[in-house]
Formats: sequence, structure tokens, C-alpha cells
Amino acid sequence: MFVAAALALLATMILTIARALLGPTLYDRLLAVNSFGTKTVLFIAVFGFLTGRPEFLDIALVYSLINFIGTVAVLKFYEYDDLGSGAYQEDDF
Amino acid sequence: MPEFIAILLTLFAWVLMLIGCVFIVAGGVGLVRFPDLYTRLHAAGVTDTGGTIFMVLAMILISLSQYQNPWIAGKLLLILFFTLFTTPTASHALAKTALLSGLVPKDEHGKPIIDSPELAQKMALSRAPKDGSVNLTPGASDNADNNKSDGNS
Amino acid sequence: METLTIVVLLMFLVVTAIGIIVLRDLLAAVILTGLYSLVAAGAFIVMDAVDVAFTEAAVGSGISTILFLGALSFTKHQQKPRGHDSWVALFFVVVTGGLLLFGISDMPRYGSATSPAQTHPQIAKRFIEQSGDEVGPPNIVTSVLASYRGYDTLGETVVVFTAGIAVMGLLGLKRRRPEDETPEHASGDVPHEPGHDTDRLT
Repeated sequence: MFVAAALALLATMILTIARALLGPTLYDRLLAVNSFGTKTVLFIAVFGFLTGRPEFLDIALVYSLINFIGTVAVLKFYEYDDLGSGAYQEDDF
Repeated sequence: MPEFIAILLTLFAWVLMLIGCVFIVAGGVGLVRFPDLYTRLHAAGVTDTGGTIFMVLAMILISLSQYQNPWIAGKLLLILFFTLFTTPTASHALAKTALLSGLVPKDEHGKPIIDSPELAQKMALSRAPKDGSVNLTPGASDNADNNKSDGNS
Repeated sequence: METLTIVVLLMFLVVTAIGIIVLRDLLAAVILTGLYSLVAAGAFIVMDAVDVAFTEAAVGSGISTILFLGALSFTKHQQKPRGHDSWVALFFVVVTGGLLLFGISDMPRYGSATSPAQTHPQIAKRFIEQSGDEVGPPNIVTSVLASYRGYDTLGETVVVFTAGIAVMGLLGLKRRRPEDETPEHASGDVPHEPGHDTDRLT
């Protein structure tokens, strides 16, 4: 079962990387990387069960958080060309 | 009958894992084949969340029935919890930033739904109306203007 | 299955690296760098190097992306088209890569049972049996890192600290004042408060 899940995840990772490399706009790439991060989290968990040692889930946990932070940081940078200083219009949010 | 229950749990986990795999692969195919950003966002965002729910639930069942280690189930629950928060939030932020940058969504004939990139920006900046209705007609620009002036005053 | 996974992940690495080289949009390249780091950490986990994977996840995918973004806010988002072919740079890169590969050829193979760490008569035994009395912490890896090879760790820490200071010196710690902002950002009257946006976002 876990072999099938790992294979499915690897196949999906290939498709996601294709979108990240093709993606016409920056948002397509960002979406693909974010989606790839989710798949990596699942893959780490599935691989832990596959090898019979599911104790490495902490890394998957760290990943699911870092992935989100990275996406939001890039988006914020792209929107304001800056990383959180300066004055914004209040209505921006 | 603990053995019988364990077998039942494993079978149920198999089914859940299979559903999760179908979700994930469908999302990957949609991410490659869909025509523009917003449809791809739908494909990836929905299937990431759905697939994660099913796969993590399957792994929780396996960890309870085969490993008897509550820590593993706890970590998996935390992963599920964070993913349920972060994936939709990231999708929302992506869509909003794309709309704010003037990327106009298109319908199935390739015709833009929103008239101009400027209108898309205004819609991204405006807040949703109180009654929850979404107004996609060109008249929505007045609404957006009103909201904008309210926000600045 | 393990071999297949490693091969697939290494192929991902190669494809992503080529994508990073080809892309002209620097922001897209930064995003792909994050993806590269995700793949690399996945490969580390498959090869049982969990601590390295942890570091790669935190540093490669998190901090270095944000540092790249900070650097990008000082430059343009498009790479300049190169006017000349940089054969000299290519030469040095190829020579360095060749030297690194030559250095690798001396190392024991992945998972080899005849590597010096496995075949040394006393060292692993001594770490396992006596590190609790000699150093103290119950975790043997901590004892090795902080005591048995303490000077090595100290040197690493100095290098990382120096790199951190250099990055901070280059990118700057000082917040930009609102009047330095570009006009469309500075037009709002209400100054931005830290954390304000994320509150609204969630």
C-alpha cells in the first residue's frame, strides 16, 4: 500500500515540477512549489511508514510550516517589493 | 476480537490511502493540463487539502493498529492540523496577489470575466459585501470605489 | 524502492538546477531554489541523514529564500543578458567540480560496511559505552558533536557566525524610513504595523 502511495506521490511530483518549470507566470511557479512542498511532506511521512520507521515525522512537520512561510514571503515581496518594512495603504489588506 | 478490528482498520486505511492517491494524482494532472492560473489554483489547492486529509487519516489508522505508538499519531494529527490551515491560506494569498497584479481570470471560451486589469485590482482590494454575494458585473467597480473610500476615511 | 526513489529525486535535482540556470527571471529562480532545497532534503531523508535534512529544510528552503528576497529588493528582477561567453568561468567551474569528484572517489561507498567508522576496533564501542561517563549527555551524537570533536564544531560555528554577520552587513539591518519609499507605497497615511497584515490574512 505504501509503495503505491509513494509511487503516486513521485509521479505527481514529476507533474508538479513540470508546471514549476513551464509555468508562464510567476504565480504558476509559486503554486507548483507550494504544492510540491505539500507532496514532500506527505512523501516523507509515507516513506517513514514504508521503511517501517515512522519516527521521522518531525521533519514533515517542520516542512509543512516552512513551506507556508516561504510562499507568503515570496508573495509579500512580489506585492510590495520589500519584506515588511515601510508604509502600506491600510486598504491593501 | 482485537485481531478482527486490526484487520478491519487496515482495510479501511487502504481505502482511505487509495482515495488520497487518486486525489493527489488528479491534482497533479490538473496542475499540468488546466489552462490558466486560477483553474490550476483550484486543482492544486483542493486536491492538496483533500489528499492530505485522506492520506494522513490512513497513516494514523496504520500507526494506531500496527505500531501502537500514540506519538506518531499525534505528530500526524499536527501535520494534518497545520496543512489544513496553511494550504488554503497560501492558495487565497496567491489568488489575491495574482488578482492584485492584474491577472484576469477567463471563462471556458478564453473570454475575460473581468473587463480590465484595473477592475481586477479594485476587486482584489475591495472587501466582500456583507451579504456574501459576489458581483462580477462591471458595475462592481462602483462598489469597490465605495469600499476604498470608506477604508481610507 | 529506495534506490528508485533516490534516482528519481536526483533527477528532480538535475532538472530543477537546469531550470534555475535557464530562467532569466530572478524571482522565479529564487522560487525554484526553494524547490531544489525541498527535493534535496527529501533525498537526504531517504538516505537516512535526518539531521542534514532538518538543516536543509530550515536553512535552504526557509532562511535562504528570505535572504535571497532581501537581496533581490536591492536589484532588478530580470537577469541582464550576457554580452560575452564566460569561458574562463566555465573552465574554473569544471576544474573545481572535477577536483570535488576526485575527492569523493576516496570516500567509502554509501552504506558501506567496510568504511573506517564501521571497522575501527574501538571507536564506536567507546562512544556507546563510555560517552555517558566521560561527557554526560544521554544522546551520543550530542557528546560527539560538542565534546569529542568540539574544536571542529567551534570552527564550524565561527564560519556560520561570520557568514551571518557578512549577510547582515550586506543586506542591512536598518529599516527603511517611510519617506524613502517609492511614491505608490508612501501615499497611504497610516503607517504599517508589524504583524498587522498577517492578522488580516488568517
